[in-house]
Amino acid sequence: MLKKPMKKPGIAINSARCMACYACFIACKDEHCGWDTPLSKAQPEMGQYWMNIVEWERGDNPRRIKTATVPTPCSHCEHPACMAAAKDGAVYKRPDGIVIIDPEKSKGQKQIVEACPVGAVYWNEKLEIPQKCTMCAELLDDPDYPGFEPRCVEACPNQALVFGDLDDPESNISKLIAANKVTQLECLGDMKSSVVHLNIPSRFLAGTVAYPKELEEVCIGAAVKATLENGEVRETVTNWAGDWEFEDLPKNVKVAIDITFDGFQPVHYDCFTDADHYVAITYLDPVK
Amino acid sequence: MSDRTVLSSADHPVEKISHSIGVGGPMTIHTVDGVIRRVRPVVFTDDDTPGWVIKARGKQYTPQRKFTMSLLGYCEKDRTYAYDRLKYPMIREDFVETPDGKNRNTENRGKSGYRRASWDEALSLVAREIKRLQKTYGKETITACTSSHHSWGLVGYKISLFNRFFSMMGYTRIADNPDSWEGFHWGTPHTYGYYWRLGGPEPYDMLEMAMQNTETMLCWSTDPDTSRGGYSAQESALWRWWMKEMGIQFIYVDPFNNYTSVKHADKWIGPRMGTDAAILEAIAYVWITEGTYDKEYVAQHGHRFKEFADHILGRGPDGTPKTPKWAEELSLVPAMDIKAIARRWASTLTTGGSGMRGGFGGACRHSNGTEYARLLFLLFAMQGMGKPGRAFWSPACGGPMNYNFWFGGYSDPLASIAKYPVCDDMPVNSVQQVLYRPNVPDAILDGHYEWYGEGFCGGGIDFEFTRHVYPAPGYNKVHCFWRYGGSFFGTMLDTNKWAKMYKSPELEFVINQDIYFTPETRHADVILPACTNLERVDIGEVGSSGLGGYCSHSESGNSWQMIVYQDKAIEPLWDSRSDFWIFSQVAARLGWGERFTEGRTEEEWAKRFWQFSDLPKQMSWEDFKKKGYYVIPVAFGEENKDPETGLIENWDRYPGFNWFAENRACDTMNHKVYQEEHLLGTFSGKFEFVSESLTYWAPDDEARRPIPQYQDSWEGHKSLSADKFPYGLVSPHPRFDYHTHFQQHAVWLWEIPKNRVVINGNPYLVCHINHELAEQKGIKDGDVVRLFNDRGSVLCVARVTWRLNPQTIHAYTSSGIYNPIKYGQYKSWDKGGSINLLVPGRLIGDYVPAMAPYSCNIDVEKAEPDPNYGQGWEHILDAVDKQQLETERPIRTSISADLLFGEKEAWLKDQKNKKEAV
Repeated sequence: MLKKPMKKPGIAINSARCMACYACFIACKDEHCGWDTPLSKAQPEMGQYWMNIVEWERGDNPRRIKTATVPTPCSHCEHPACMAAAKDGAVYKRPDGIVIIDPEKSKGQKQIVEACPVGAVYWNEKLEIPQKCTMCAELLDDPDYPGFEPRCVEACPNQALVFGDLDDPESNISKLIAANKVTQLECLGDMKSSVVHLNIPSRFLAGTVAYPKELEEVCIGAAVKATLENGEVRETVTNWAGDWEFEDLPKNVKVAIDITFDGFQPVHYDCFTDADHYVAITYLDPVK
Repeated sequence: MSDRTVLSSADHPVEKISHSIGVGGPMTIHTVDGVIRRVRPVVFTDDDTPGWVIKARGKQYTPQRKFTMSLLGYCEKDRTYAYDRLKYPMIREDFVETPDGKNRNTENRGKSGYRRASWDEALSLVAREIKRLQKTYGKETITACTSSHHSWGLVGYKISLFNRFFSMMGYTRIADNPDSWEGFHWGTPHTYGYYWRLGGPEPYDMLEMAMQNTETMLCWSTDPDTSRGGYSAQESALWRWWMKEMGIQFIYVDPFNNYTSVKHADKWIGPRMGTDAAILEAIAYVWITEGTYDKEYVAQHGHRFKEFADHILGRGPDGTPKTPKWAEELSLVPAMDIKAIARRWASTLTTGGSGMRGGFGGACRHSNGTEYARLLFLLFAMQGMGKPGRAFWSPACGGPMNYNFWFGGYSDPLASIAKYPVCDDMPVNSVQQVLYRPNVPDAILDGHYEWYGEGFCGGGIDFEFTRHVYPAPGYNKVHCFWRYGGSFFGTMLDTNKWAKMYKSPELEFVINQDIYFTPETRHADVILPACTNLERVDIGEVGSSGLGGYCSHSESGNSWQMIVYQDKAIEPLWDSRSDFWIFSQVAARLGWGERFTEGRTEEEWAKRFWQFSDLPKQMSWEDFKKKGYYVIPVAFGEENKDPETGLIENWDRYPGFNWFAENRACDTMNHKVYQEEHLLGTFSGKFEFVSESLTYWAPDDEARRPIPQYQDSWEGHKSLSADKFPYGLVSPHPRFDYHTHFQQHAVWLWEIPKNRVVINGNPYLVCHINHELAEQKGIKDGDVVRLFNDRGSVLCVARVTWRLNPQTIHAYTSSGIYNPIKYGQYKSWDKGGSINLLVPGRLIGDYVPAMAPYSCNIDVEKAEPDPNYGQGWEHILDAVDKQQLETERPIRTSISADLLFGEKEAWLKDQKNKKEAV
């Protein structure tokens, strides 16, 4: 398995598994800070994040809070915007798909930084060059290097980062991608890339159903129905904690929530998925 | 491969590979020309043993074939070449070696700069002072203390090398408090025994048990992705995904919706600080009133349950039924949620625990912490603790392990160069006087201190009730402090006390032996620079506490048991030397050098640990050194492998506490003889719902009642100080550091937005504030805020969040950085994030000498960042770098050189110009 020839090396990033433990982030610095390689100048000690972890909080009420954590290196796009912006072939794409910024030719070309839609290219003030993730290609090329994965992938304890051949349908990476929801970075549109993001969450709506307030009891088994503006219907029941949740709803759509439970009056909410929302604690009223 | 640029080995220098261990896990270190190139995880080859396989719910689970380091492990290169390394022996500029030890400008400690000294000058001064002090006051006049795990290895660790040197010299020992698990240590032995595990539960084989049986995981005051089972790096991270993805429901209880909780919790509740015990009592109320506890188990194994039930139902002396509504008023957790959790716990197979190894967690570091810890065990007992799926366990330790392979661990009484059989000449400390770590400053400043207990009371419950007086009868007071490794400024209580102590003329001589210029190093008269783990030889097992010590078998927090030859990757940098060398040199100058070393080098000492272990049966010393590590199979023998996969499926299993529930003789490791007769280590041998040992020894104890119960804290939402400082501070063990060992040195960590934010060159610690509170105080995300109370002020950067409730503010403890705006001034505002300036010095109770940093009221206000550049870095640069600035650094590119000497230089120049203009 060591140094297996690969047609198209890639990294799948499964956000659902990422704990934001920052092992990849620091391993990347460990590899690239302080040492020049033929493919890149050293990453400065501070100020550049070739393996950047984008993190945001989801929810608007302590009763239901999650975080989205998206490790975001260079995507190694099929048609890189940085390459288009570069002069003199300062950015090139290797036959295996890895995008490299030539550390010599790119000198002074700040437009390469600005061209990247992901924000994955950083400007080195001191050397006046743009810099970014090389997918550790210099290591993977090196027959003497004992590892066989980019440093970030090797460092991941959660198997959230998986490295392999995207062109081989039998590879672990291809199987993982097939079995999960591909969620390409929005800024890339439908651009294909060698870094494939999986399971970046979109929106959730959540809530709790309870019996009339004075009883201080959650209601287990209440039916909750979400009707999206396109007519799609999703259904769930409240769990042991009285909680309900719809995950991965499309962004910026109207969603009608209907809560029903035998012997109690139905409750209706009109929601909008502009953000992740905890809708309400719903206290049921008995049927009169 | 053909279409890629292939480098030949001629294109790049040859890399040397060696191995070591840190608190971030075992490392593979690549060096080029004597410089560290990279630090990688150990990735196993086909020569290494196959892993274990757990078969559960129709699937098979086996760990990845690498040891998963934490981010701290990947910081080791940054930390080795850190800007704040101690490079030379140094002596305080205005230190005067007066013959009587007086008039030494001690008030300037913490303020004065240093001058470079030669090793000979520094060591001779140390030896002269030791002789003078011993002659004047006796051996007891010197005291010394180390922190935990600023380095790793059986030769260099504190119970080994440090112990050997100071026992041979004779000194006033400083007893450690069980700072990370106070409530369990001082509480649970009175409820279910296990004092020899310092109150903690048996984690053995709990992972497999939970994966096969458990339906609900209750993680109380637990952030396993952050606390990592102690020293097991990120090894258990995958276990929790397995459990999560097989449908186990996770309940997290923590005032802060912590980093594991926010990803895994199906239900999170955030009680007001210190009200955990009330919620537990309310859960017991639900079970008792609904009859949903294991009555048979309680009847058989419980002692005086009826009185406990009466107390819960309001038939006890206080007459208050402990209803969910009662608990809601205290904790602000809705009664309906408490009831739902109580019913889920009773109706499904529920496993749970507290903190990193089950008997840890912030909630027990509170004035009510002993009661919380005892109640948690009693509630698990009420549900049949030890039955499959109903265990006391935090999901971080308890992986399959080989109990039959002996190799020493860090708390193993035998694994020490101060003990037989590793050494031939065993030193015994001739001084009986002791100090107690949380109160060293009180003892020095007041000249008198009294307390109960032996620090770690593993020898028996009675150890908690021994009385100590300082100075001990017939002994002189301490006049010399030898501080070794790490800084207590971030971890001990009411830290300003420590700064004050160091200024006292009572301490005639202060030695600091460390790798880095930590906040505490700054207070020494003589600084002895030690090298890191990567610059010397040692030997150790990853994460292992050993078999005989406290919290034994902690290596079960790893997926792999791994013994490492901790080879020297590079030569000691600058003038630093190994701790062994430093101690040997002082010993030689005191006239017992040969006795101390026994003529052995560090490598020869390391070999002794190999020799007295089971490793020689598997690997010769030469092969072990060459390969660098050995992975212990969970079981030997082909017959134990699954024929299909080759993974090991049979090993000796001793599920923790299962013997008790099944009325068997105890079969787990590390037990007491009476457990074989099916008794617990309490007076009655049962779960004591009313504690007989407390009734006997401490009937007047106000902190621990015979029936464990919620009590208002001496500093909490109902105490007087809440009028002035209305918010509770939750300060758990840090996610981006270990104790104080990384934060100041590894600058890469400052770029983690949840950790620190650099403003004006100073890395401000992040604190978390609820949206509603932030709005009320006019604070926006990213603002600098001041957290304060009567004890101190700390400047932090606010992260505004919904991950906690408005009555609580979160900031991690153990800041390695302490940057007072006015250096050396008592109670100066700190911008280093040294949160422990705020926590009370008061201990849990008169009989419970335990720290309680979770009992801490504070207020918050919007503040401005300090306008000066770099601020706290001044003291480091002034004191350390006068020579460094003129010395060529031995590495190609220096970590943080840009930060400190680029931007910094310009700033200094600017300041100089300004001064000249004035």
